[in-house]
Amino acid sequence: MQRDWPDILGGLILTAIGVGAALWAALHYDIGTLRRMGPGFFPVVLGAGLFVLGLVIALPALGRACTAPKVEPWTLLAVLAAIVIFALGLSRLGLAGTTAVTVLVATLPAPHKGWVWRVLLAAAITVLTVLVFSIGLRMTLPLWPRLS
Amino acid sequence: MTTWEGLLFGIGFVTQPEVLIYCVLGVVLGTFVGVLPGIGAMAAISLLLPITYYVTPEAALIMLAGVYYGAQYGGAVASILLRLPGTPQSAVTTLDGYPMAQSGRAGVALFTAMASSFVGSVIGILVLVMLAGWLSRAATAFGAADYAAMMILGLVAASTIGTARPAKGFAMVTLGLLLGCIGTDVNSGAQRFTFGQTELLDGINLVALAMGLFGVAEVIANVRNPDRQSVAERIGLRRLMPRRDDLRRMAFPMLRGSALGSFFGALPGTGSTLSSFLSYSMERRIARQPERFGKGAVEGVAGPESANNSAAITAFAPTLTLGIPGDPIMALMLGALVIHGIQPGPMMLEARPEMFWGLVASFGIGNLLLLILNLPLIGIWVAMLRIPFNYLYPAILVFLCLGVYSVRGLTFDIVAVAGIGLAGYLLAIAKFSPALLLLGFVLGPLIETNLRRAFLISRGDPMVFLERPIAAGFVVATVVLLLLPLWQAWRRRSAHELQ
Amino acid sequence: MRFIFTRQVALVGAVAITAVPAFGQDSWPTAPVRVFVGFPAGSSPDTLARIVTDELAERLGQPIVIENRPGAGGVIGVQQMLVSAADGHTFGTTINGTLTTAQRMMDSTGFDVAEDIIPVTLIATSPLVLAVSADSDIDDLESFIAAAGVEPEAIAYGSVGQGSGAHLTAELFAAEAGVSMLHVPFTSYAEVTTSILGNEIDAGFMAPSAALPFVEAGTMRMLGITSSEPFAGAPDVPLIAGNAGLPDDFRAELWNAFIAPAGTDAAVIERLNTEIVEIFNDPAIHAQFLAIGWQAAPGSADDLRQRIADDTAMWGGVIDRVQAQ
Repeated sequence: MQRDWPDILGGLILTAIGVGAALWAALHYDIGTLRRMGPGFFPVVLGAGLFVLGLVIALPALGRACTAPKVEPWTLLAVLAAIVIFALGLSRLGLAGTTAVTVLVATLPAPHKGWVWRVLLAAAITVLTVLVFSIGLRMTLPLWPRLS
Repeated sequence: MTTWEGLLFGIGFVTQPEVLIYCVLGVVLGTFVGVLPGIGAMAAISLLLPITYYVTPEAALIMLAGVYYGAQYGGAVASILLRLPGTPQSAVTTLDGYPMAQSGRAGVALFTAMASSFVGSVIGILVLVMLAGWLSRAATAFGAADYAAMMILGLVAASTIGTARPAKGFAMVTLGLLLGCIGTDVNSGAQRFTFGQTELLDGINLVALAMGLFGVAEVIANVRNPDRQSVAERIGLRRLMPRRDDLRRMAFPMLRGSALGSFFGALPGTGSTLSSFLSYSMERRIARQPERFGKGAVEGVAGPESANNSAAITAFAPTLTLGIPGDPIMALMLGALVIHGIQPGPMMLEARPEMFWGLVASFGIGNLLLLILNLPLIGIWVAMLRIPFNYLYPAILVFLCLGVYSVRGLTFDIVAVAGIGLAGYLLAIAKFSPALLLLGFVLGPLIETNLRRAFLISRGDPMVFLERPIAAGFVVATVVLLLLPLWQAWRRRSAHELQ
Repeated sequence: MRFIFTRQVALVGAVAITAVPAFGQDSWPTAPVRVFVGFPAGSSPDTLARIVTDELAERLGQPIVIENRPGAGGVIGVQQMLVSAADGHTFGTTINGTLTTAQRMMDSTGFDVAEDIIPVTLIATSPLVLAVSADSDIDDLESFIAAAGVEPEAIAYGSVGQGSGAHLTAELFAAEAGVSMLHVPFTSYAEVTTSILGNEIDAGFMAPSAALPFVEAGTMRMLGITSSEPFAGAPDVPLIAGNAGLPDDFRAELWNAFIAPAGTDAAVIERLNTEIVEIFNDPAIHAQFLAIGWQAAPGSADDLRQRIADDTAMWGGVIDRVQAQ
């Protein structure tokens, strides 16, 4: 039998987050009194609540069957990498440079083969981005890679 | 000036070419920036602020207001077609709007959103005109305890949205509330869960959270999904317009949504978000087939869209009559007036009636313009889905990153989108509702500060929640809502025993 | 998008090539100047900065870009200014709290005022007023102090957050008057005003511009003002200094200043100071400032340095008392 892993793992992760947040808050922030609640009051209550809810989700799921969802690790990696590259490249490569690189990385997992369309797409999106954001919306961003 | 004289005066004022042009400019620009993921009304208004130095204060306010509600129309387009909500209100629209688009009914979904927005705005305008004074009194009558009780009711009412198991809904709301704790605590100044990152001092960027949970998660899930690549094939031009059946289904949700939105809109801060979530959960509760919700129910688009648009209009009541801005965007608009030497406040209505009536009339005319502008555009928006996903999603990613960056110019927020996107993807796989997380995140800090404030002011007396009539009403309603399922279960069982 | 001004079009292109080494005074400025503001567009620190930089851009012959980096009460704006290279074309404006109290109120601001920041000039100051609802029995400073003295926390007052200028001013006032009040933090003056009008809290320390419209409408009353001289924006309000038993030298003001990152050429600082001070020779600028509730107050770089030192010491004492509570 295929177990209901999404609910089991999801519930346990939430439980862990709840415990972690409540403990961290209890150790670092003042709980206060009802009259003058401290910064720790809410996180501790919410963390405890999340701990309970996580268990309520995970425990009944132990005996339940479920079709396993499909996970796409490579797509995940490529898309997240593209976003991080965009963030880090913005000040170094300029808007145009970082957009082109981001598009090329983002298209890596695309099912359509070949590289010509990827380059053309990168060029097209770069032009569009510069037109919309730099010229249209007047965002103050460096356009080209820094020379120094 | 009586109401009708005022309205006629206002319409006469706005239809002057030199004023109308700014109204048109505002709504067109608003729609445009609203469609761009993450570039909301806030960014667009800050962009236009320099122009307002050069035009009359009335024209400036009419233009900025046009951007404000125009962006809501545009935001619905991005939410329905691409699941890219920039605000929590738009996140509600994705719940049924996006499934409609995926099943080839994008045109109908967009029509529903636009018609509902229009109806919501018109009702909002009527309420604003007739009840402006009453609405602003309501805004000052609400104390900290009342706000806290109201928002807790909202959370409880909404927490079963978009999820089959109530525990998963409550868990997402709680997680959202917990994420809302990140940043500087207003009451004590303590820096909670910031781990030395100054970028986190004001909390997680809301747009980054919405974009990561919805947009990025959706892109990852669909890059290699053959169904997503061929959505275009399912779209026929004939399906652009709603059937009679759709129209019948959307009529009452629109009216109910507008009523909710008109009331909650007047309460500073939360009106728009709270009313769209409440409208959605109300429609699902009273529907004959609640199981259709989340799979493309017209009512799930019509109710919330009319609610958030009427709320956007009545939100001007405290802003105009008391000079108290309900949200940062309103504050920005008041800032534009101050530059012109107009001090917003309780006297503004008497001192400058043309400001109030001109603005009210511009709401009506602006929304009509939006409808006229957007209905023909539906075909073009839908055609966007014909672009193969391979070509579309890299552009979505770049635009989304820039949208997030535009909020406060920190690359930290873009990196955060990647992390939130990962979480959003995992939540989607495990079928947890990101909309509820967003609701908890938005309301969390408000609930916390109001609850703590209520206890401070009452010097620690919890009776404040029962002694204040407004708070007591919400507390009773919350208790009823929590007990209702138990009572229903009991009745079902006794009916069963009778048989 | 018809509304693009030619100056700003020029600037978009020009900003693309900003990475240039430092310059002497002869050629400065050779590139567009960036001014970081730690508050959103349309806020009062932003408006002050725009009024000054509009004039400054013409005098310097280069466009000036306002970079809004809101967050953490202005601290993010200063940080972002410091991250950008000190190439003589990067500056910032800031409110007093960022340079005087933030170091005490926050775990870490990520910068050292004395080491990382060069003062250029003070731009403007603003006092705070003590306001109550018009329905209140309290009608002057003496009856306010009497009401607050009945028992500790008899009076609840609103501020715009823990450690904000309004909060610290109220605590300074309470310490000088020998009373103890209940602090209720809010996030904006609009919220404080709503709460006062709803008779939820008794009073608030707030910017004159936030209180004046309600005073004119007859729904609020101002009991005193924290400046050392009558404020031109509200000349009728009595000074707190020397009134109702408070010391004659009582003064608590917010201010706004122009700053530069450490490493900026001294000649550039001097030129900038001269130009900004000259801008204020125009009475129209004073009037524009006053319209949004600020008193123009240009001075020398040393004046600003002294002001930072004085205020850091004075508020430090107040923070000691608050944190000891």
